[in-house]
Amino acid sequence: MREDPVYFGIRHLSPAGAWHLRKLLDEIQPRLLLIEGPSDLNGLLPDLLHPETQPPLAILAYTQEIPVHSILYPFAAYSPEYQGILWAGEHGIESRFIDLPSEVFLALSQKRGKETDGEESSTAVYRELDRQAGGDGHETFWEHLLEHNPSFDAYRKGAASFGAQLRQETAGLDSDWPETVIREAYMRYEIEQAFSQGYQPNEIVVVTGSYHVEGLKSIDPMTEEERKSLPRVPTNSTLMPYSFYRLSSRSGYGAGNKAPAYYSLLWEELCGEQPGLAAESYLSRIAVWQRAHGTPVSSAEVIEAVRLAESLSKIRGWEIPALQDLRDAAITCLGHGEFAGIHLAVADTEIGTEIGTLPEGVSRTSIQEDFYRQLKELKLEKYRALSAQDLSLDLRENRTVKSQKAAFLDLERSFFLHRLRVLGVSLGALQPGTQENATWSEKWIVRWTPEAEIELVEAALSGDTILYAANFKLRERAEKASRIDEAASVIEDAFLCGMSSAANYATSALQGLAVEAASLEELALTAQHLSTILQYGNIRQVDSAPLKPVLEQIYFRSCLLLPGSCVCDNSAAKVILGAMERLNAAQLSNSFLDPESWLDALHQVAGRDDLNTHTSGYAAAILLERGQMDSQALAQEVHRRLSPGTPADLGSGWFEGLSMKNHYALIARQSLWQSLSDYLDSLDDEEFKRALVFLRRAFADFSSRERDEIAENLGEIWKINTQQVSEVINSPLTGEAKEMLEGLDDFDFDL
Amino acid sequence: MAQTKVQRLPAEQLFQEEIDLLISAEKDPIPAGWKMSPRSVRTYICGGKVKGKIITPKYIGQERLVEIAIATLVTDRALLLIGEPGTAKSWLSEHLTAAINGDSTKVVQGTAGTTEEQIRYSWNYAMLIAQGPSLEAMLKSPIYRAMESGSIARVEELSRCASEVQDALISILSEKRISVPELGIEVPAQKGFSIIATSNTRDKGVNEMSAALKRRFNIVVLPAPSNLEAEIEIVRTRVSQLAQGLDLNAGLPAEEVVEKVCTIFRELRAGQTLDGKQKLKPPTGVLSTAEAISLLANSMALAGSFGNGSIADEDLAAGLQGAVVKDEEKDSTAWKEYLENIMRKRGSHWAGLYRACRELNQ
Repeated sequence: MREDPVYFGIRHLSPAGAWHLRKLLDEIQPRLLLIEGPSDLNGLLPDLLHPETQPPLAILAYTQEIPVHSILYPFAAYSPEYQGILWAGEHGIESRFIDLPSEVFLALSQKRGKETDGEESSTAVYRELDRQAGGDGHETFWEHLLEHNPSFDAYRKGAASFGAQLRQETAGLDSDWPETVIREAYMRYEIEQAFSQGYQPNEIVVVTGSYHVEGLKSIDPMTEEERKSLPRVPTNSTLMPYSFYRLSSRSGYGAGNKAPAYYSLLWEELCGEQPGLAAESYLSRIAVWQRAHGTPVSSAEVIEAVRLAESLSKIRGWEIPALQDLRDAAITCLGHGEFAGIHLAVADTEIGTEIGTLPEGVSRTSIQEDFYRQLKELKLEKYRALSAQDLSLDLRENRTVKSQKAAFLDLERSFFLHRLRVLGVSLGALQPGTQENATWSEKWIVRWTPEAEIELVEAALSGDTILYAANFKLRERAEKASRIDEAASVIEDAFLCGMSSAANYATSALQGLAVEAASLEELALTAQHLSTILQYGNIRQVDSAPLKPVLEQIYFRSCLLLPGSCVCDNSAAKVILGAMERLNAAQLSNSFLDPESWLDALHQVAGRDDLNTHTSGYAAAILLERGQMDSQALAQEVHRRLSPGTPADLGSGWFEGLSMKNHYALIARQSLWQSLSDYLDSLDDEEFKRALVFLRRAFADFSSRERDEIAENLGEIWKINTQQVSEVINSPLTGEAKEMLEGLDDFDFDL
Repeated sequence: MAQTKVQRLPAEQLFQEEIDLLISAEKDPIPAGWKMSPRSVRTYICGGKVKGKIITPKYIGQERLVEIAIATLVTDRALLLIGEPGTAKSWLSEHLTAAINGDSTKVVQGTAGTTEEQIRYSWNYAMLIAQGPSLEAMLKSPIYRAMESGSIARVEELSRCASEVQDALISILSEKRISVPELGIEVPAQKGFSIIATSNTRDKGVNEMSAALKRRFNIVVLPAPSNLEAEIEIVRTRVSQLAQGLDLNAGLPAEEVVEKVCTIFRELRAGQTLDGKQKLKPPTGVLSTAEAISLLANSMALAGSFGNGSIADEDLAAGLQGAVVKDEEKDSTAWKEYLENIMRKRGSHWAGLYRACRELNQ
């Protein structure tokens, strides 16, 4: 008969378990506390005891190599494990984790190809529990049976027999069973280790899931050989703040996590030696929330809700109402039968918004360290909150402050946020600028989530500081880029992050790519990226001068490619039009780009008849806008393009292209209308009918106001009343006219 | 027996055996004024087994809602059942009172013409004039009697009453006493007194209840049956109970018939087919489960009186036409569209019903 230490089988995240455990420890006064947790992470235990440490927290272990696998052990204040560790710390005894090391866990999970939870993640166990517990599900059953049970023995025996029973049902059947066996053999090995270190069995308390108690009692310890043959992967680990929200949203992790705020309420009441008051607190909190948010709730209603909850639990045969009873009572009495009326209050009361905190410098990866240091330096700490906050940045030098640092505070903040964005850490979301081309202002929405912390830890793989990691990420992207616009976007990101070395690296990558053939679209996108960067000038303190020759090169290439690219069908023409617009904008905002070659290319496109007419029309529109085409030339072009013999769709396509650029620029050009009028005058009846068809199509997407203005122009030319013309143009077609036009369509297409 | 001639027996007589059985098997404590424990009431309503005998379920749906209703009455609170027409509000309230008090007949029917006297008390005027006010000359309302005897009174269709009549309940529910100034007496409610009110959310001509009154009720919203199977179950159970009482001379509707009716009702109610693939135009009526039940009973009557005793497609078609088409103009297009777009394409076992329905719509 071998000797066993004192086992305390618990349910993870159980307030009553935590409370009874403390009582047990007080009574036994053990010399050693063994806890189900990764045995290679004992180094994190002292940090959990730090006076500034506030749960909820999680221990995170992750593989050093990509793809990152991670394993998470969350703790709330009411976790029995956490309270055990605290008790050990308070009484100066040693506590240890005894479960499989995280490096083994991760190696096993990598083999299986799935994420683990650090707990018996199998949902099968809990489905089984649900089935056994009947209609209410196992949560409510556990809560009634264990959480509201003030008797220590009852808790311990209840939990133990529950675990044993469950074990009997699932042993060998569960897909996690082999892992369970390995874990228990390992834990037993650790227990034996403790014995061999001279601890007496009755001096050791083992805290583990009640499911494992039976196993630990019967299993043989792992041999030294077996232990050495366990697979391992290199891992890092850290302690991270956690949130109630995340606790509640993780599925599969043990019981008692759906309503962390409610469970912490239970815990507080246990600590205040007033168990059973949770009902009142829960319902009052909902009432308070409702009142604060504009719905009057009377105390009388709260009293009724408490009474209802009590009688509800009595119908089921329990003394103290469980969460389910409380919520139903709240819906009936406070929500007047509708859950929708109180669901926000319920979410707040059951889940809550609490986030844990860690003292500075406590077991963080160096990148977290860097993150928090910068957060403080940049005075961004107040933005580390669960609710989203707006942050407006003015990137210009603030000349009213003394120090260099303060003067560029906002710029540094922008760099910081952009670097995090590049790393995929979801702290800030950049909002589209409200002021067109305002290069010096940025608007962010900043919101901190525990996810961001995890992403940050994952970013640690790329480098030890945010700067290094971002640099690594950008280089990686630049190396992977296969299109020049991808490389250009890396350059843009590098500039936004204020990282010149990455920018230089990406620039050379881009130059390398630019040698290869690239489509006009890619070139135009690239030109746009580069042009944006150059517009920032030196506001981001990165020298953009090296980009000028690159942009020039791209620009010239585009000018040469343009006419050839315009041989295309109408759907491809849309892409070309976009590219033309970008290139034009790039040329206009960068005076060092020689306008001549661009204008030459446009003239070619505008003048040639063998290109897509949309692009020709659009080129003409750009020339017109830039004052490179005079009225005479336009009039001539109108005549030529719309002349008899030109198929109607080509003519209208050209006019559509012309009008696409800028309706107002067209409308304001009286000479255009004059030449259009002249053209129409020159047509005979048959030709007029043809022209009518495509002109009608071309003007289809003008708004009625724009049509008014056209009417004004035409009225002036024809020397008639503007209003009459406008009326005619804007009025819907009469049936007769419609018929006639439809007839024309047929006539036209028959040709 | 005289009873068999009664058109409709109250629940406590209809289910006398089950109630007696539950009372005899009682193990749990019984609240003051009640005939059985809350748990037995739940068994009576939701069904179960007592002493090896089956208690039929009276309410098929979320058991939790029934528990909330019972728990409300245990705490002396008034209960308000809200829901769309035909969601078994009155049915549940009748059975609750039958089980709790063995008496479901203390009912005030709320209508536009309900007066405050009907809530409190009125007088036998001949006697009042002859003898002056006295207890003998007083006509007590069901609520008054429930207060005296410590039992539960029912108020049906509370929201159809005028607001001032509704508000007469406020003082009764908060003070738990009625004062009779004419006689200079106050009648306190005995333990066990409570009120179950029902109220409709969808009917036209409904008076919104005041917040003050709502606060005095625990409100339970009864939903429409959550799925087809539940609705079929409800319809089948109720139709067979009705058939026993009505001597319809017809066989119970076949499973397939009940399923067809429930399918049509659910689809029209939801505005889409059961598989969610097709949208359709819902008619203006509510198409409650209760209507499906009466439709089938009606079809049975047709079959029994004029047919061969089993429900034919023609009998069903006539009932469906009447149930769906409430507003001639709008509903008949919705119904015709349903016939042509959905029912016609359902294959051979719907063909007979489709033809019968279309004939009526020619």
